[in-house]
Amino acid sequence: MSGAQPVLWLPGGEEHDPIANKTFGFWLYMMSDALIFAALFAAYGVLDHRFNAAGGATARQVAHPVDAFWQTLAVFASVLAYSLAMVKLKAGSRLGVLLGLGAAALLGLVFIGLEIADFASLIGQGITPERSGFLSMFFVLVAVHGLHMLFGLLWIAVMMAQVALKGFTTEVVTRLLTLRLFWTFQASIWVCVFVFVYLRGAF
Amino acid sequence: MSLVHLQGSWTPWLGRLTLSVILYHNGIVDGAFVFAAVTGIVILGVITYYRKWGYLIREWITSLDHKKIGVMYILIGLVMMFRGFIDALMIRTQQMMADGPDSPGHLQALHGYLPPYHFDQIYSSHGTIMILFAVTPILVGLMNLIVPLQIGARDMAFPYLNAVSLWLTAAGAGLVMASLFIGDFSHAGWIGLIPLTELPYSPGVGVDYWMWAIQIGSVGTTLGTVNLIATIVKMRAPGMTWFRMPIFTWTALSTNIIGLTAFPVLGVALALLGCDRYLGTHFYTAGLGGNLMLFTDLFWIWGHPEVYFLVLPAFGIISEIIPTFSERPLFGYITMVAATFAIAGISWSVWLHHFFTMGAGPDVNGFFSVATMLVGIPTGVKVFNWAFTLYRGRLRFDTPMLWAVGAVFLLLVGGLTGMMLAIPPINYTIHNSVFVVAHFHCMVLVVAFSIFGAIAYWFPKVFGFRLDEHNGKRVFACFSLGTFLVFAAMFALGFMGMTRRLDYLADPHWKPLLIVEEIGVFFYCVACYYFFRMLHVSIRDRAKNRVGADAWGTGRSPEWIARSPVPFYNFAATPHFNALDEAAWRRGQGLSDVAPRDYEPIATPKNTIAPPLIGALAFGFGFGMVWRIWWMAGLSLIAIIGVVILRSFATETEHVISAEQIRSMETTGSSVGIVTDHISPPVAEAEAFL
Amino acid sequence: MAPLGLGGCSIRQFPLFDPAGPISGAELRFTIIDVVVVLCIILPTTVAICLFMWRYRRSRNAAYDATWSRSIPFEIAMWGIPLAIVALLAYFSLQGTFEVNPYEPGALAHRAAGRRALTINVIATDWQWLFVYPKQHIAMVDDLVIPAGRDIRFRLTSTSVVNDFYIPQLIGMIDVMPGMRTKDITRVRRRGTYEGFSADLSGAGFSWMRFPTHVVSAAAFRDFVAKIQAKHGNLTYARFERLARPTINLDEKPAFFPAVAPHLFGRIVAAALHGKTYTTPEHLTAHMAENARHHAPYLEQAVNRH
Ligand code: HEA
Ligand code: HEA
Ligand code: CUA
Ligand SMILES: [Cu+2]
Repeated sequence: MSGAQPVLWLPGGEEHDPIANKTFGFWLYMMSDALIFAALFAAYGVLDHRFNAAGGATARQVAHPVDAFWQTLAVFASVLAYSLAMVKLKAGSRLGVLLGLGAAALLGLVFIGLEIADFASLIGQGITPERSGFLSMFFVLVAVHGLHMLFGLLWIAVMMAQVALKGFTTEVVTRLLTLRLFWTFQASIWVCVFVFVYLRGAF
Repeated sequence: MSLVHLQGSWTPWLGRLTLSVILYHNGIVDGAFVFAAVTGIVILGVITYYRKWGYLIREWITSLDHKKIGVMYILIGLVMMFRGFIDALMIRTQQMMADGPDSPGHLQALHGYLPPYHFDQIYSSHGTIMILFAVTPILVGLMNLIVPLQIGARDMAFPYLNAVSLWLTAAGAGLVMASLFIGDFSHAGWIGLIPLTELPYSPGVGVDYWMWAIQIGSVGTTLGTVNLIATIVKMRAPGMTWFRMPIFTWTALSTNIIGLTAFPVLGVALALLGCDRYLGTHFYTAGLGGNLMLFTDLFWIWGHPEVYFLVLPAFGIISEIIPTFSERPLFGYITMVAATFAIAGISWSVWLHHFFTMGAGPDVNGFFSVATMLVGIPTGVKVFNWAFTLYRGRLRFDTPMLWAVGAVFLLLVGGLTGMMLAIPPINYTIHNSVFVVAHFHCMVLVVAFSIFGAIAYWFPKVFGFRLDEHNGKRVFACFSLGTFLVFAAMFALGFMGMTRRLDYLADPHWKPLLIVEEIGVFFYCVACYYFFRMLHVSIRDRAKNRVGADAWGTGRSPEWIARSPVPFYNFAATPHFNALDEAAWRRGQGLSDVAPRDYEPIATPKNTIAPPLIGALAFGFGFGMVWRIWWMAGLSLIAIIGVVILRSFATETEHVISAEQIRSMETTGSSVGIVTDHISPPVAEAEAFL
Repeated sequence: MAPLGLGGCSIRQFPLFDPAGPISGAELRFTIIDVVVVLCIILPTTVAICLFMWRYRRSRNAAYDATWSRSIPFEIAMWGIPLAIVALLAYFSLQGTFEVNPYEPGALAHRAAGRRALTINVIATDWQWLFVYPKQHIAMVDDLVIPAGRDIRFRLTSTSVVNDFYIPQLIGMIDVMPGMRTKDITRVRRRGTYEGFSADLSGAGFSWMRFPTHVVSAAAFRDFVAKIQAKHGNLTYARFERLARPTINLDEKPAFFPAVAPHLFGRIVAAALHGKTYTTPEHLTAHMAENARHHAPYLEQAVNRH
């Protein structure tokens, strides 16, 4: 400390980068979401057993990997569309972003539609969540992911409105980026569902 | 349609709600109802009479200031702790009265004054409240208050989210309180013993109250952990390197990492139970392919980390108080940090010790036994560090120090008994006995003692004057005596074979010890009296107890360089940190009084009604779900989403104070603390958004 | 120690310190070892803290050191000593866990001289204990009689919720779970009557789930079995289903059955797996006292009619 007066106060307000903060916070939130899925997958692992099917349908009978493959395609195409929207964001094109988001939403809807159709056909065959521990788990795991997708769709709709009304303010851009994280994250969870439930169940 | 076959009636408009659930014919409940109603009316009346509604709503309820949010968290926690104490009083009184086959029965009970089903609700709500709605909110509140100050930040990373967390916690607490008057609470223990919580064995709404209260409250807690971690990682002021961080901030970081990873698992455990109860699925049923161990595992995968979630900040508090009142730096700062994270890490791999008796093989039980005992090592490191901090110190025994040292002794007793429980052959004899109850009360009282210490320690920082020492010491003395009498007797009863959760005790030989416990509870009552008296006297004589920035004269960590009471912008200029224990360092260099030379404008978040609204709607959602009033639950949920979306369209959510204003507030001083007589600047500007 | 004194420190009142068989004996031994080992470190720590608090209080003006805050050797010892203690504890813990392992306890390694083990099926209902002796074809409610000196094998299950089977002086706790079976094994040296009970909350009647355990000589046990077998009444499955309805045995009245439906235990487990539950009526939970009174006589009638 030879002579130089130590710095005690810095006059300026701290420069915290709001986008970095929000993104970091969102990663943390996704960590907790990932744990929700981890717990569900663990529970699925416990209940995916002939004993837990209690004489009802087993994974083999409920998991249709081919149908689920179409869902996989839909969700990946949706992520791709979202990425294209982000490219347009760099170019500053509102219309481009809106179109990209719209396409992502549409493909997301296709995903949800396929899932609902799948559930409906299972229930039509008398395969319901009340039948056994395994079926409870199967429906709930897939439906929890589905709910996340629905939530994402709602969010995309809100963001389309915000882009249209407010343009690219810092807040809107931050939200677009976090939504992208969310959407990609849900796609990767779907991959886990696909592999763990549908592929593993069928083979 | 009520989804699943229910006993009793159901109507679309009122769900399971009927008049008879409110007019419960029971003297105790009527008494509680009248007491709470009168208290409520008096409080509302006083607020109205003094025309404080506007003040309350403007300055507190809609506030996004981390300090006000912290204070509200702590207030909610203290009120709930008081409620939890009333429960404890009722538990102890019932057990004292209902001892032996000849013990008389009063009201509707065969023995004592509480019938079993009612008694079961009382300790279930006691445990739930104390852990989730008393101690947890108080600790979260303390972290909210202190962490930003310790790292030189102006607020939390996400002030709006912070308020949402608070009001969700309040909604959960509100649901627990509502169960007191409308319907019942769970009778299956705070841990929701499975399959007792399944519909056939718990046909009423009690378990639903328990489930939704925890679920809603813990969403708030999880969001809070995101906020605190982001704050600590991202908002540190220049010079605040990782290894200059005060130990309380370190423990806050580790504890919130535990919380972030553990609470989602609780959410899943409860949600699946909800599916069983509401949709008729078979996750945890004994039959049709359910697996009841699944719940037990999931619950304790959260439950065990949760107890360390509670105790780590308490360790942080002790580590702040002891150096201040020993006038020495904390011994072994680095090992302390390492020990903190070691505890957090091990906490994940020990959950099975809560059900050693389930009949797992000796290899599994052995593994979890050893894993559990490993926690003793880092905890020991902490205790030894505190001991060496005392060594060659200049110890002053002000109230905070008394609480801290008391906590250390309790930790030693709780640790000794925890080690016993961790050994299966011993556990097979005292599992589910009151010995366990005594063990964990020692531990949760480590937390409670630390909390009382923290309140005394940081009160002057937040409000600018100290709490009355005289009455504070009396609270400590009575509380400690009560603790000793209740829990020493309880350990003995454990060896006498007394099971926990008994509403009727068969063995009349236990009577003398039960009376000792009742005397202990009496001292707790006296402690409460002195606590209120302490508050009263402190506020009355506040002029006498005013303090400067460094309230205790020997403070070490950075919060002691902020003014007391802390102004709403925390630091007029961003502090630059030069050392671990910045306050002590500045004092050593004779720089304590150096004020910033220049100021720049500061942006603070504007108040908003959205978070309390979300909380109120969450309460409506929970209430609707509990009583299966689907329209109410549905509308509330839609409204919550609506509020969130609307708020996301809001612009200009910040208010900027000019450098001139700051300069004038800094020089004139007094009026910018968290309790002021006139409207504080961010609020004045926010009127429009309200 | 004050409260211990008040309790009138007689060993009779501390069943955990008065084991009557090798299993509970081993448990007590490990309790003592563990407490001694842990105290080896807790006591010195406590004493040191008290000493420091007294010596370095401000008014005494003892030596003061404003800076000393680290020391590598001390910090190594801080981690090392507890580590050593935990290692020692871990050794005893593992040894003890195998010693009292409910499935194959080391403490019972030597067979009881020449006599085969006696099997007893334990069925917990809401809120009574049913003990079935499959070889002897007898059953009893809320009363247990076992011969001394012989291995007793328990097989346990529950009709409804989880309970915990515990006789402090004879055997460690073991969970009793619907749709599942657990096992436990013990041997008793000393004759006498020991209190047994459920140790895990199971609902409103939980506090009354107590049963006396009579440990008698081999001859007395034979007499007892013969006496029960001479009675009338058969515990059919239908009869069992009535018995298993939520009932609080307020007066702790035992009941005895000289004949038992075959494979009752297995049928109960299978029924639970098929989703059989014995629903608690909501009114029972609301107005406990009255309903407890209504239900107890029901049991007495059911049992005494035969
Ligand atoms: C943090 C957790 C916590 C805390 C602090 C406590 C505190 C206390 N508990 Fe509790 N307890 C539990 C958590 C806790 N408990 C749990 C989890 C269970 C298990 C439940 C189950 O079986 O499922 C349990 C069960 C339990 C039982 C067991 C019943 C049984 O199983 O047989 C008993 C019996 O005596 C008991 C007693 C007490 C007592 C006397 C206190 C005393 O220490 C209380 C002292 C508190 C005060 C004296 C209040 C002070 C408050 C203020 C000063 C604030 C006032 C201010 C304002 C209003 C502004 N508790
Ligand atoms: C804040 C809360 C808290 C804390 C910190 C702890 C800490 C510990 N707990 Fe406790 N525990 C609870 C709260 C807590 N517990 C609750 C609420 C329950 C019951 C829930 C319910 O069923 O309702 C419970 C139940 C519980 C059980 C299950 C009992 C049963 O139901 O059968 C066990 C068993 O292993 C256990 C063990 C331990 C151990 C080993 C520690 C260790 O962390 C203790 C470590 C500390 C020390 C050892 C002391 C200091 C160390 C030294 C001085 C160094 C030297 C010492 C050695 C090397 C031995 N606890
Ligand atoms: Cu069966 Cu645990
Ligand atoms: Cu634990």
